[in-house]
Amino acid sequence: MATTPPRAEAVLLLRLAGPLQAWGDRSTFNRRETRPTPTKSGVIGLLAAAAGRARQDPVDDLSHLGLGIRVDQPGSLLRDYHTVSDYRGTPLPQAGVSAKGIQKPTSPAKHTHVTTRYYLQDAVFLAAVAGPGELLDGLQHAVRNPAFPLALGRRSCPPTQPLCLGIRDTDTETALRETPWQVSRQARERYAARWRREHGAARSAVPATVPCPVTLDDPEGPDVLNDVPLSFDPLRRSFADRRVRHDWFSVPTGFPGRPGSGTPDSPEDATGHDPFALLGW
Amino acid sequence: MTSRQYIDVHIIQTVPPANLNRDDQGNPKEAHFGGTRRSRVSSQAWKRATRLHFTERISPQDLGTRTKRIAGKLAERIGDIAQVDTATASRLTGALLTPLGITAGRKEGDTAYLFFYGRRQLDAVAALVGDRAAELAALDDEKLAAEIKQLPVRDTFRTGHPIDVALFGRMVADIPALNVDAAVQVAHALSTHTTELEFDYYTAVDDENEKEETGAGMIGTIGFNSATLYRYATIGMHQLVDNLSDEKSAADAVVQFLTSFARSMPTGYQNSFAHHTLPRLVAVTVRTDQPVNLVSAFEEPVTPATETRAGIAPASIQRLAREQLTAVRAWGNAPAFTAHCHTLAPEHGETVGVLEEAFGAPRSFDVLLTDVRTHLTGGEA
Repeated sequence: MATTPPRAEAVLLLRLAGPLQAWGDRSTFNRRETRPTPTKSGVIGLLAAAAGRARQDPVDDLSHLGLGIRVDQPGSLLRDYHTVSDYRGTPLPQAGVSAKGIQKPTSPAKHTHVTTRYYLQDAVFLAAVAGPGELLDGLQHAVRNPAFPLALGRRSCPPTQPLCLGIRDTDTETALRETPWQVSRQARERYAARWRREHGAARSAVPATVPCPVTLDDPEGPDVLNDVPLSFDPLRRSFADRRVRHDWFSVPTGFPGRPGSGTPDSPEDATGHDPFALLGW
Repeated sequence: MTSRQYIDVHIIQTVPPANLNRDDQGNPKEAHFGGTRRSRVSSQAWKRATRLHFTERISPQDLGTRTKRIAGKLAERIGDIAQVDTATASRLTGALLTPLGITAGRKEGDTAYLFFYGRRQLDAVAALVGDRAAELAALDDEKLAAEIKQLPVRDTFRTGHPIDVALFGRMVADIPALNVDAAVQVAHALSTHTTELEFDYYTAVDDENEKEETGAGMIGTIGFNSATLYRYATIGMHQLVDNLSDEKSAADAVVQFLTSFARSMPTGYQNSFAHHTLPRLVAVTVRTDQPVNLVSAFEEPVTPATETRAGIAPASIQRLAREQLTAVRAWGNAPAFTAHCHTLAPEHGETVGVLEEAFGAPRSFDVLLTDVRTHLTGGEA
């Protein structure tokens, strides 16, 4: 393109991958769950942390950003048994505090507290954050130079690189359709092997596309998620609803050396809606 | 110092048959990564081991030497807020800290707290006298002490941050003012290779039961596995400086953390397995852009057959070094500082070469710590 068009709506692409992730929405107290896909509050929390915002700082500008999530590798659920105790061997404090702000020890003394934490293991997601180009430019710089260490929904889940895949001057749907599949070489080869097995194809005929489930912001969408952060302030934490729609996109597998990969070339690829694919069947 | 610094720690450590961190079935924790089963030690478990290691190593005297600096810092702040001369600020500081001397040692262990003040506590305490500095300075010592007694100095200082709070953070749901943002992020340790859960079947003999042939007094099983773990943590230096209020204390805390994180070991089934190992590799990088977790080096599990016949640990180390080189090449930003310490034998020459390319010349752990500190406090390492 000869001239640079004015920065309008654009899409920031984030690859959310790491051994463990946790995207809780309503979890409180002793059972910390995770949704099967990243939440809007989780993604916006990551961006806000990158930009150096404290929990009390407003996030209005960020919660207005659009979000599309693509499931490149669904991963599986991990249940983690987790105990809490004081390393000095003193009894755990009570939940409440006195007027002076002091937590008294539990009576009778309680030394160990059990919680259950759920994680997603071995998952890879592509998040497309849509909004004004200037804002996204700033966020991209922040993700590459974060103020706080970034995490995939929970502090103990640092992301692997590359986290930031750059900004595309397009809409969420196009970005999610055109970005190549974000899985490891191994997973790609496993997919090709299964495809060959099932289709009896010649060794060279590797699939050009793979069907991936997506969740997109859509005011007409049939599903409602309560994960739009209004405030991360610990005392005024609150979330709003958003409407979403679920869909399947054919995504380029990005096999190297395959001419024209990115365009579906077989009927299976083009219509490839296989609900059992998620289960690895 | 630049505004942002992350200190990444990468550790490769081999653990013999052990059960460091167990789930509610009593078996070692696991996770799937790269499609295969891995041994896992939760971040919480290793953070706890690190905290316990602190309490063994950090003596109260060590912490005690810091009182003077805190007094100086507080005087500085009072001077700034109230615009009074140094002598007046010091006198007010003395009056503020005197009552604390009495309470500090009342409960053993609490003293350690009091010597690691955070910036917010100092600001808050300085603010207590800041507005009335001139008025207070005009009083004689006795009246000054009485006036200071009226102030909630102790309550303000009760929120003082010990080193582990500064590093690992603190959350008190009811009083957000007491919250401290952790400067350290620790990932779950994962094995670099596929592991299988194994069971140790054991019997216990009844020593006193010699006549009857009853067999075992009891039988049982212990789940275990052995693993070469990749352990990763990153310290946000700017956050740590914020929590501890000065750069030198923060650099000290980094050294304490590196020491305890590298040398500590979760104690699960310690007496059954005696799994006291030290890391095969500790690599430290200081970056001014972003922390980089190199766990993707092991997404494809390490297998002895496909690597050099060096064994899992040297093969893992080579993978890690290559991943670091790839990351630097692909993402452009070279770390501001790298250092590493390894225990590879001379026959692993190729791995040693890659390691040096990725993390600089090898050094002993003590020298590594000294060099990290020198780098963080602005010197040349």
